[in-house]
Amino acid sequence: MASNAEQANTLSRFLPREINGWRAEGKDESYNPETVFDYIDGAGEVYRAYNFEILVARRYLKEGEPNLIADFFDMGTASDAFGVFTHDLEGEAFEIGQGAVYKGGLLSFWKDRYFVSLYAESETAASKPALLGLGEEIAVAIPAQGKKPALLSYVPDGFDLKKVRYFHSHLILNYHFFVSTENILHLGQKTEAVLAFSGDKPDSVRVLIVRYPDANAAVLALQNFAKAYMPDAAETGLVQTEDKKWTAVKNKDNYLAIIFNALWAAQARNMAASVVQKIVD
Amino acid sequence: MAKKILTRRDFLRMAAMAPLVGAAGTSLEGVFQKAPADKVRVVLVRDKEALDSAGKQNAEVIQKMLDDAIMALFGEKTPADAWRRIIKPSDTVGIKTNVWNYLPTGPAVEQSLKRRVMDVGIPEERIAVNDRGVLRDRVFQNATVLINARPAHTHHWAGMGGCIKNMIMFVPRPWDYHADACADLATIWNLPSIRGKTRLNVLLLLTPLFHGIGPHHFSAEYVWPYKGILVGQDPVAVDATGVRVLQAKRLQFFGEERPLQPPAHHIVFADTRHNLGVSSPDRIELVRIGWQEDILI
Repeated sequence: MASNAEQANTLSRFLPREINGWRAEGKDESYNPETVFDYIDGAGEVYRAYNFEILVARRYLKEGEPNLIADFFDMGTASDAFGVFTHDLEGEAFEIGQGAVYKGGLLSFWKDRYFVSLYAESETAASKPALLGLGEEIAVAIPAQGKKPALLSYVPDGFDLKKVRYFHSHLILNYHFFVSTENILHLGQKTEAVLAFSGDKPDSVRVLIVRYPDANAAVLALQNFAKAYMPDAAETGLVQTEDKKWTAVKNKDNYLAIIFNALWAAQARNMAASVVQKIVD
Repeated sequence: MAKKILTRRDFLRMAAMAPLVGAAGTSLEGVFQKAPADKVRVVLVRDKEALDSAGKQNAEVIQKMLDDAIMALFGEKTPADAWRRIIKPSDTVGIKTNVWNYLPTGPAVEQSLKRRVMDVGIPEERIAVNDRGVLRDRVFQNATVLINARPAHTHHWAGMGGCIKNMIMFVPRPWDYHADACADLATIWNLPSIRGKTRLNVLLLLTPLFHGIGPHHFSAEYVWPYKGILVGQDPVAVDATGVRVLQAKRLQFFGEERPLQPPAHHIVFADTRHNLGVSSPDRIELVRIGWQEDILI
């Protein structure tokens, strides 16, 4: 296994020294999951929740222009690089790497096992083209393509795959769709989950698909979820909630599929069934 | 507007926030000697001239704002009388600041506070201003009084960075307090180095950050010149009031309710679970002084 220093050197090689007159300043800094809080405060927890291995930060300076900051994360796997990218999808989409968004002077993209955040300390007419150019150069330098998580293929038709979230932690689930303060689904670093939405409205239908390490873990999670969330319908796995919407949960092997906010009982039941039909492990 | 229906998701959220006062080893009752029936006073001072044309803190105006706020907080007629309510010449004072690169407390506020501490008769060698080095700072190690001053901003893991969270540098491993979106940050206030020593909390709303993006959780697009400062003795009441300002700005900016993400539930838990102070607006006496335009709350 490569040391932190070797990994950091590998990442540094993907970063250009100059872009549109901005030049790299000083020595690159690198951080691991233990030291990341020295650099990015509490937001470091997001990257830890996606198992990041090393972060290399480089600052670019140009006279009369804002500093540009490149934060280059080796997430260890393409799934986690994709996942951490899906954590914040706000912004204008660009075809850089395997997916990119730009907003408020921040360009984020992922490619292979890497997640890249490029940030201008303030926005000027020159900073956006510089960030986009920097992103394109880094993306081209990364030779391989990453594979998206297989869980995405189980999302039913009608859900927006461009807005899907992939994660491990229940805190990240709650960030995107609050279910419970307690970790009633037993999510953690050994589980994978995707959350997809049928639309942008707050009351759109959600599908949550979780893959557990084994079938027993999935059954235990199902029992706990049913007890905490639908004690009035634990047997059927289908319940009408207080807002007249429907929630359905279904288990197959080491998977759980949960539909939230369905308009009708049949919709919830059929969507959950369509997920488990797709599961082919 | 349609009446919101409480769902089981709402109940699961609220159940976790139910009072747990008395849980072994977690209660901070008595730290501020608050009488449960009384309201806690928080002062919001604003001044149109708090920032210069470049957005930099105007030191003279900041001094006046802090003086006015502290006099209003204690009902005193001079800054010296107000400061003498919380410190005495024999004290050793640590001013806990915040050096976050994108939104620091700043020298104007730090020096204003330090000046007034010195005016009480405390020599400079018994005053320190520090953030990340508090554990190694001899003045902080011997401090009898702490003054807590920092800017308010949304926070990617805690919901809001405010006065409660500002004490995180008093622990060697801050990430040990990150569980459940920093739910139990208030327990830090039970450490011997802090407990009962923090006499004043200053939450800067000069240029608050109401939304964050990216690893650094900062974009200049999401700060605005509110030109305000919140001052109080109760850090929970001060933070709870700060959250109201941030949420009001989010509503104004986004044109829809956008709750803080994640919710700043550590502030509620500081009240209901750890009894550090009060978080409910109906138990906070908010005194507004100075500039009132676009005050939001």
